[in-house]
Amino acid sequence: MLQHDVLVVGAGLAGMRAALAAKQAGANVAIISKVTPVRSHSNAAQGGINAALTDRGDDWKEHAYETVKGSDYLGDQDAIEILSQDAGRAVIELEHMGVVFSRGPDGLLGTRRFGGQQRARTFFVADITGQAMLHVLFEQLLKSGITLYEEWFVTSLVMEDGQCRGVVALEIKSGKLELITSPAVVLATGGCGRIYEPSTNGLIVTGDGMALAYKAGAPLMDMEMVQYHPTTLKQNGILITEAARGEGGYLLNGKGERFMDKYAPSMKELASRDVVSRSEQTEINEGRGVNGCVLLDLRHLGRQVIETKLAYINEVALDYLGISLAEAPIPIRPGMHYMMGGIKTDVHGATRVPGLYAAGETACVSVHGANRLGANSLLDTVVFGRRAGDASAAYAKERGHKNVSEAFVADEEARIKGILARSTDGDSVAKIRLEMGQVMNDNISVFRHEEGMKKAQTTIRRLKERYARVGVQNKGKVFNTGLIFSLELGYMLDVAETIAAGALARKESRGAHARVDMPDRDDANFLKHALVFRTESGPRIDWLPVTMTQWQPQKRVY
Amino acid sequence: MQITLRVKRYNPEAPEERRSWTQDYKVDVPEDSTVLDSLIQVREYVDDSLSLRCSCRGAICGSCAMRVNGHAALGCKSKVQKLLGKDNVIAVEPMGNQPVIKDLVVDMTVFWDKIRQVQPWLQPQGPEPEAEYVAPNEAMQHLVGVMGCIMCGACVSDCTVLEVDKNFIGPAALAKAYRFVADPRDGHAKDRLGLYNKAGGIWDCTRCFECVQVCPKGVAPMDRIMALRDQAIDAGFIGSYGARHAEAFASSVEHSGTVNEMSLVVNTFGMFNLPKLLGLLPLAIRAGYKRKMPPLFHKPVEGIAGVRRIFHKAEEQQKAARG
Amino acid sequence: MKFAFYPGCVSRGGCPELYPSVLAVAHRFGIELDEIVGASCTGAGVLQEKNRFLGDSLNARTFAMAERMGLPIMTICSTCQGVMAQAHQRLRDEAYRAQVNEVLKEEGLEYKGTVEVKHMLWVLAEDIGVEEVRRKVVRPLSGLRVAPFYGCYIVRPSGPLGYDEHPERAESLERVIEAVGATVADFPGKTRCCGFPILTINEPASMRMVAKHTLEAKEHGADCMVTPCPLCHLNLDGQQPKAAMAASQDIDLPILHLPQLVGLALGLDSNVLGLGRHIQTTYSVLMKVGVQVH
Ligand SMILES: Cc1cc2nc3c(=O)[nH]c(=O)nc-3n(C[C@H](O)[C@H](O)[C@H](O)COP(=O)(O)OP(=O)(O)OC[C@H]3O[C@@H](n4cnc5c(N)ncnc54)[C@H](O)[C@@H]3O)c2cc1C
Ligand code: SF4
Ligand code: SF4
Ligand code: FES
Repeated sequence: MLQHDVLVVGAGLAGMRAALAAKQAGANVAIISKVTPVRSHSNAAQGGINAALTDRGDDWKEHAYETVKGSDYLGDQDAIEILSQDAGRAVIELEHMGVVFSRGPDGLLGTRRFGGQQRARTFFVADITGQAMLHVLFEQLLKSGITLYEEWFVTSLVMEDGQCRGVVALEIKSGKLELITSPAVVLATGGCGRIYEPSTNGLIVTGDGMALAYKAGAPLMDMEMVQYHPTTLKQNGILITEAARGEGGYLLNGKGERFMDKYAPSMKELASRDVVSRSEQTEINEGRGVNGCVLLDLRHLGRQVIETKLAYINEVALDYLGISLAEAPIPIRPGMHYMMGGIKTDVHGATRVPGLYAAGETACVSVHGANRLGANSLLDTVVFGRRAGDASAAYAKERGHKNVSEAFVADEEARIKGILARSTDGDSVAKIRLEMGQVMNDNISVFRHEEGMKKAQTTIRRLKERYARVGVQNKGKVFNTGLIFSLELGYMLDVAETIAAGALARKESRGAHARVDMPDRDDANFLKHALVFRTESGPRIDWLPVTMTQWQPQKRVY
Repeated sequence: MQITLRVKRYNPEAPEERRSWTQDYKVDVPEDSTVLDSLIQVREYVDDSLSLRCSCRGAICGSCAMRVNGHAALGCKSKVQKLLGKDNVIAVEPMGNQPVIKDLVVDMTVFWDKIRQVQPWLQPQGPEPEAEYVAPNEAMQHLVGVMGCIMCGACVSDCTVLEVDKNFIGPAALAKAYRFVADPRDGHAKDRLGLYNKAGGIWDCTRCFECVQVCPKGVAPMDRIMALRDQAIDAGFIGSYGARHAEAFASSVEHSGTVNEMSLVVNTFGMFNLPKLLGLLPLAIRAGYKRKMPPLFHKPVEGIAGVRRIFHKAEEQQKAARG
Repeated sequence: MKFAFYPGCVSRGGCPELYPSVLAVAHRFGIELDEIVGASCTGAGVLQEKNRFLGDSLNARTFAMAERMGLPIMTICSTCQGVMAQAHQRLRDEAYRAQVNEVLKEEGLEYKGTVEVKHMLWVLAEDIGVEEVRRKVVRPLSGLRVAPFYGCYIVRPSGPLGYDEHPERAESLERVIEAVGATVADFPGKTRCCGFPILTINEPASMRMVAKHTLEAKEHGADCMVTPCPLCHLNLDGQQPKAAMAASQDIDLPILHLPQLVGLALGLDSNVLGLGRHIQTTYSVLMKVGVQVH
């Protein structure tokens, strides 16, 4: 049996930062990831990380206020204060670890502007910020000697007496199931973007941690808050960073008009993401688009800026559209991108299940509320990752180890055998996944209405029934990716159901949740978080007040 | 568009004689598909037993390196249309130089061991500043080019030296090594260069350009290795045969405008390194007999004074550029 | 057809048989070769390790000399070709060219960026054309199975070498082999490294490369191997006995320079082609194509 004080599930930014913190606190730490750490989806973050550095004349309170406003007042203000107050330290720490942040002519860290913020406070590494951070944290992980279970897939949490005591995981290479026990488990499994089709998220982003926690009895929160990013490629959903607009790019409709003038006269293209996505969708819906898209025009930035600061997206445009950004505008449209919602945690990453912690996109602290500001998520992963690492190490120390029955493994073995034994006639994991992705993207997206959301809910229920009957062709043990997809689909269906439940329960429009049938924000009744609990008969909704410190809700204008 | 993916498969759980085989998958894919899109289509709708790694579909996670039509590439960066051979066939195999686990999935343990070998973390010297390190943006920009490496393994797959010498640290790890040597914040450049100067290190690369050609991110590992060589010599590591060969080569060109293989050999091994020189003797004797010996002394080219002037100016310019 | 001829160092140093065979073959095709007098070494990639600017300056000097002659350059070595092509590519950038020209000024030279650099292989396959090669054949090498071995620098990096505009270059050697009536013995190692650059540094690895490629070629039925790179020849031929010893296996694979193979088919005298001057005897090849050996 494998035993550790702290077991971190997920080796993206949040997971690695948590593991490093727990290790520093003296715990015996292991990190487990279904892919090699540097394959994690944090890689894909392009634009940057926010921080208000005081020695640059910036003020964390401004950052906090803009985050609150961006969240459409659904963010918890105590958590947001922690986030923005700790940001400067976090960015400097990353720099010291080795992240090659871009600099100004004075050799100090340079910034660019991002959406929803008046000031340039986004620190960046060209347009590969996530990759640069992820690889540097991985370097630190190698240095630390933390145990790494690489390409191990967590299939379930070990729950005893209402406490989380470890995980059962599948070593993908051998197909062996193993029990790993630890008094504290940190879930840092990232988002759940693949529930949607298309999505900017990688194929591995399947909401595993959310589903695991949900099943273990921890509530999910604000699951209806699904962010659509304003600039994604139509054909495969790949993201074009907000930095393109931060550097000065324009959005044009089919008539060549900079339409954001109309919707956000002061901040234009750099209004909050929900605002920009809705504006684009309106242009498209009202017939001023181009083949279901609008245009992103960067030509005026010049080759130099494009090739140094936006090199990766230029590569993407060349690879997938055959267009150089310096030469022509590219068609883009809103696409599913990020989960504001997730496993409900306190500001130390603790979920409501003892021994179970969460951080990163999988968690909901909540700092993003109903709409996340660009470049606040990377910040979230390192700030709250570290806090979860600290807290879990302290918890583990206090509780100590308990013996856990090997029966958990036998149960999982039986379950997996069951999946492999099911028939593959007619139906398939891929078909169910595609139907799920489409129904979610059609109905719980930029604009929503009751009927559509109901349709999504019933479809997901039907798909769950089909899922329970479908098997996989591959019966082998070694690197059985067919089996992994099947398990991931199970997770996604559970999470999709909570998204639909949250969306139907929130009878107002707020942030990313824009209902055409209820277009107004309703602070009197819905300035509160939706908690989703699992019950035998399906998701149950409960409400939780929003924590407010200094900022009262106001009308949101950009 | 109808295409055939000719996939080299491997299943370690099958009986010995049926473990590896080649399988043709005919699929109908949109014109702008990548090889990865097509493989995913196979995996989802034809045969889910086909194992491969992939995630981002945007050439950033480094999961999907494989050999496409004989050369290492990212599946998600390889457009089907550009690759179609006779009868619309595209050949897909796992990467080379790494053991296959199943189908297109290779074991990258050794890859990571070699990354570890170069001490891949920043080692600043002196006390940490309170704020950020002050560093020129150009230096950081330059590093971004190397940090662009996504650790996909394509360069390692096609490295010609790794094919015959497992001891070689290899292109990806050495590019990573360069990233620290070139980082103005790192305080251990010299120790690092000493480490990379050892056998299996920077001098073992044959400059074959395979890694430059296949790297999907423009990291150009070979160029980084060459930069490490130059810096190693600069830092005083001049004892290796590689360093001596490079110096002997340069002085031959400086002296005569051309290279003289005999003097290269003698200068590389040293006039009194009898074992090495004798080792080359069978060749020398046979070559002499065949009237193939290069002349021992060779005349400088016409206009050698000009060559030398250029030589010195370029050397000075480089020195000046480095400060 | 006329070229500014750049023979490189090895064709008169380690592989003295190459130079005369090039001249003889060129003559048969009516290719006029006007040697660039006073040209320096390209740097062979070694000088570039130390100082790329230096390498580029020396090559720009050669380019400027050819430009003055008003002729495209013909090379006869994959390494020379590759190194020149890379320099050529970098010198397309005007600012960089100006910087290099600053160094050339004192020599009374200026490179304007107009020169073309072509390996003899491409001259045969593209300018002369395989059809013409076929027409000139008087002694078809039928029955001879020839393994092509390109040499790294004539295939990589493909951009500067013009493969985007000339994708057919990837099979130029095969096409010439077929044009002279021989059969291609294709094998996986044909575009790999011969191992020469690490001969003095990591000899065992270098020997394994020689053994691997030659043995693999034989497995694929080759009677001999042909290469457009004299440096590859130095290793594949010159070190073959040692490689065989290291591999504890006989190899005995004759390695021909490109013009030697073509020259045989043109009916040129084997002595002119220097076929007796190799380490690994070419006797079996001559027998096979019916050449009297005296
Ligand atoms: C295209 C794109 C661009 C973005 N750009 C920005 C930006 O510019 N700025 C910004 O702030 N944010 C950005 N974001 C958001 C941000 O990148 C992510 O929210 C953040 O990186 C998530 O990090 P994470 O550590 O929570 O999860 P991830 O990096 O996704 O890591 C999840 C980890 O969990 C592991 N895991 C999951 N399930 C299991 C399981 N069952 N068993 C074992 N391991 C498991 C995975 O292997 C992985 O290691 C972007 C997101 C995308 C998709
Ligand atoms: S250039 Fe060097 S490192 Fe790169 S593939 Fe060739 S031998 Fe390997
Ligand atoms: S250097 Fe290039 S090919 Fe090699 S691992 Fe990095 S990205 Fe891949
Ligand atoms: S899928 Fe990520 S690199 Fe290809």
